[in-house]
Amino acid sequence: MGAQLPEGEAGGVAATLAVAPTVAEPAARRRGWTRNLDLIIPGALVGLLLFLCFVWPLFGTVPPPTGGNILDANAPSFSEGHFLGADQVGNDLWSRLLYGGRNSLEIAFAVNVIGLVVGGLLGAFAAFWGSFVDTVTMRILDVLIAFPSLVLALAIAQSLGPSKLHTIYALCFFSVPAFARLARAQTLRLRERPFMLAAGLAGTRAPRILLRHVAPNILPALVTFALLGVGVTIILEGALSFLGLGVPPPEPSWGNMIFEGQAVMSAEPKLVLLPSAFLFVTVLAFNLLGDALRARGNAS
Amino acid sequence: MTDQAVRPGPAIALRSPALRLIGNRLATAIPVLFGVTFLTFAVIQLLPGDAAQQLLGINATQEQVQEFRDKLNLDDPFLVRYFHWLGDVLTGNLGNSLASDQPVTSILSDGLPTTFQLLAYALFISLVLTVPLALLAARNPGGFVDRVGMVTSMAGLSVANYVLAVVLVYVFAVQLGWLPAIYTNDTGTPGELIKSLTLPAIAIGFPLFCFYTRLLRADILEQMQGEDYVVTAKAKGVGPWRVLIRHALPNSLFGLLTIVALNIGTLIGATVIIEQIFAVPGIGHSLLEAINNRDVPVVEGIVLVLAVVVVIANLLADVLYAVLDPRIRYGRSAP
Repeated sequence: MGAQLPEGEAGGVAATLAVAPTVAEPAARRRGWTRNLDLIIPGALVGLLLFLCFVWPLFGTVPPPTGGNILDANAPSFSEGHFLGADQVGNDLWSRLLYGGRNSLEIAFAVNVIGLVVGGLLGAFAAFWGSFVDTVTMRILDVLIAFPSLVLALAIAQSLGPSKLHTIYALCFFSVPAFARLARAQTLRLRERPFMLAAGLAGTRAPRILLRHVAPNILPALVTFALLGVGVTIILEGALSFLGLGVPPPEPSWGNMIFEGQAVMSAEPKLVLLPSAFLFVTVLAFNLLGDALRARGNAS
Repeated sequence: MTDQAVRPGPAIALRSPALRLIGNRLATAIPVLFGVTFLTFAVIQLLPGDAAQQLLGINATQEQVQEFRDKLNLDDPFLVRYFHWLGDVLTGNLGNSLASDQPVTSILSDGLPTTFQLLAYALFISLVLTVPLALLAARNPGGFVDRVGMVTSMAGLSVANYVLAVVLVYVFAVQLGWLPAIYTNDTGTPGELIKSLTLPAIAIGFPLFCFYTRLLRADILEQMQGEDYVVTAKAKGVGPWRVLIRHALPNSLFGLLTIVALNIGTLIGATVIIEQIFAVPGIGHSLLEAINNRDVPVVEGIVLVLAVVVVIANLLADVLYAVLDPRIRYGRSAP
């Protein structure tokens, strides 16, 4: 059982979402385009969030997220120039939410792309060569998985100093082992398939087999896992920022906004509740999207 | 395994698959523990920054820093220090904190009980809610309870525990004033302990509950749809609830317990943040403080204990699985 589950600190939830069998899909009973609503709704939500965080600020209607005027401190919602009001030092809240989301999403994408490429290659290599390479890789992964990764992430972030890049390094310790285990399990399943045997008998060299035969077959599962991983990574990035070891203030991130707002929560609850809501909706959208794709992968 | 030398013929220990399994797992667990402690040491030592400077502050003179380094042998090569530490651990000495000079064992014995109480409370909350909801959902898949339960659990899986904690504090402590916002245990009565651990336990337990419910529901449905014993029970005329509770649930529960054991590592990660928010004086709190101070002996001690807990939990999961499932117990692979 353990070998099948890409279990890890971060992998835990996403991994189980990725392997839990889905019984009785209600979507399959609907007809026409509504059949894909489970994909369209979260997909549209993700698209909207990406547009708001990455494209909307380019039009120049959003004030900068830092360096606000102290005279605007604690401006109420819908006041002049501040759509959602301002925080304690006069920075525009709406702008901080968007730029904070940009930071969170950039980190999450980077961590998952690195995890997919590095972990995917590691796992596929290990399963493909088997024996010694496999044993050594799996033992190293065992260590990383028995290790409370948050400790590692905290230690790395603490000693390198809080910054966006260091947060990415630290969080890769969650993503790489999780992807590696999934890629290994998927590749092991492929090894006995006739087309692999045929490729081997035809004298195809190992790198070509990995690239042309293994990669296209394991990629769908890895990409689905990456979508679920984005949600988990956003939460973890928030946790690091929350502990003061992620994106350093005054640069916004949803995690550090929640942390800063916590101090004045009884007076200004929106400073905590709005970034919390954005974090929640984003993670939910990515989870639903990943879940819907996984259900389709299982069905076919 | 040493029985082999004493007894003629194959040793009893080797003939018992369960014991052989434990032996195998222990043999792989020990290198993992070495790896984990070595990795911790390496990460803290090899990364830039200096424990002496960190602890003495920016104003310390060069001489003070050097004196401190000499006293703690911080200038020795890092491998020498790792094996030094390892030697001490094997004789039961975890060293003293660099920051407070307190023995690491006493820091552990101060923090561990609170953390375990918190974890046990959180697990209790999640499991008590999971079983009835999963049963209700599996009784009528696609029905009202099932849909609401699945939507709730998906939402719950998307909530970060620190967000949940902050919202819980806002609602139950700030607005309603029912429960304390931070840990207080002045009188030391169980009532007060439970009261101050309730919000942190919900913050950890609710996402777990969502996670476990999805798993348990899917597993029960799989049992109900595919297993011969369910067909047999139904054919005998056993009522639907009785089939669910007496036949399917026990089988699914074993799978859930395995996942619970495998998840202990994640749980420990959660306590670091939650203890920070609620000022719970547990092991996660000490860990964060020690990481910030680069207090290597304390970090190493805590990581060692946590890694041992994770390894034992995984071992228990494997053994439990083997003991409960005859197919694995007798060395045949499960289909």
